[in-house]
Amino acid sequence: MRFHSLAPAVTLAMLCGVAGVVALGQGTAPTNVAPANTANGAAKTDNSVIRQIDLDGLKTLLQPDQKEPRPQLVNFWATWCDPCREEFPDLVKIDTDYRARNLNFVAVSLDDVSEIGTTVPKFLKEMKASMPVVLLNVSDPEPAIKLVDVGWDGQLPATFLYDKQGKVVFKHFGRINAQELRAAIDKALGNKQ
Amino acid sequence: MKKQYAISLLLASSFIIALAAVAGSGRSSSSDVPAPPAIGATIEDFKLPDADGKDHTLKSLMGKKGVVILFIATKCPVSNNYNDRMEKLAQDYKSQGVNVIGINSNYTEPSAEVKSHAAEKHLTFTILKDEGNKIADRLGATRTPEAYVLDANNKLVYHGRIDNSQKTEGITSNDLRDALDEVVAGKAVTKTGGAAFGCTIKRPA
Repeated sequence: MRFHSLAPAVTLAMLCGVAGVVALGQGTAPTNVAPANTANGAAKTDNSVIRQIDLDGLKTLLQPDQKEPRPQLVNFWATWCDPCREEFPDLVKIDTDYRARNLNFVAVSLDDVSEIGTTVPKFLKEMKASMPVVLLNVSDPEPAIKLVDVGWDGQLPATFLYDKQGKVVFKHFGRINAQELRAAIDKALGNKQ
Repeated sequence: MKKQYAISLLLASSFIIALAAVAGSGRSSSSDVPAPPAIGATIEDFKLPDADGKDHTLKSLMGKKGVVILFIATKCPVSNNYNDRMEKLAQDYKSQGVNVIGINSNYTEPSAEVKSHAAEKHLTFTILKDEGNKIADRLGATRTPEAYVLDANNKLVYHGRIDNSQKTEGITSNDLRDALDEVVAGKAVTKTGGAAFGCTIKRPA
């Protein structure tokens, strides 16, 4: 397993439960808001309408939540990216398996905004994906990429796991190895108390 | 006896080396790609075949002022969004002493496909096939499209995106062209790189 620990340029952190997910919306369509939620944020998200976020939205997504700190998994993907599509069933399964175990998970789509009502929700429906999904819509991708990781140059997919302090404890560029990622998540969750 | 022992030792060592080579040959993702050379580093000459199997050295493709190396793909939609821009770049800078070359390092895209894709998309610059992604590894290339600019002395002066937007109407930062204009003018490159989303170069697992 490749374990990378690095000091990101900014303090990256986790969002917490549905409150965090709602904050991602930036006031857009409410249909992406998770329905009646349990105390540990274990609700499914309806991805029939995808929210778009800008650079500020991405910052919000990566903001630490001091009240209910949890590890967070963030996957950057696009429907045009073959390895992203290939790994998606693994991510859906990881979401299903870990949702009730205090792991937050957000999938950030880099599809063109013109696909937000077509290709993206169609793919998510096919995948039966119920983790929160947002679409990053920025005119220049560089500040967003460097906000996430100064060492990242934008290749997709890219997957980051943050511990509850918001520190990157695992990152992977290219198709994930589900076993490696699960081991990293288990470790992050094991250290949660 | 001594000789036998030596042979056994030799065999055992070869076995261990072979095992290590096999263990090290798998690569699951670009997380394992070597780091790219730093800006200012000198890039050694290399030799790769084009889609017809004809070998070219970097030296033979170097322009008077420099060279642009573009890692490209046949199937990546992002790379394909840049086909026209890459061809125009090659045309625009040819007369200014800068050659553009393409490299396809995706193991999923064989030479025949590279050739037909170039014909179909009207790409006239030389495209090399990097079997085993040796040059992609040497340059730390991870995605398509990804650009490297070397000056006439093989010094790396730019490494990164072509521009900020997959759609031409959204271009606000022409990073690669800005760098080339400076190279042509004999000036130091101001912005030596830039990040953009792209497809991961497909290396065998």
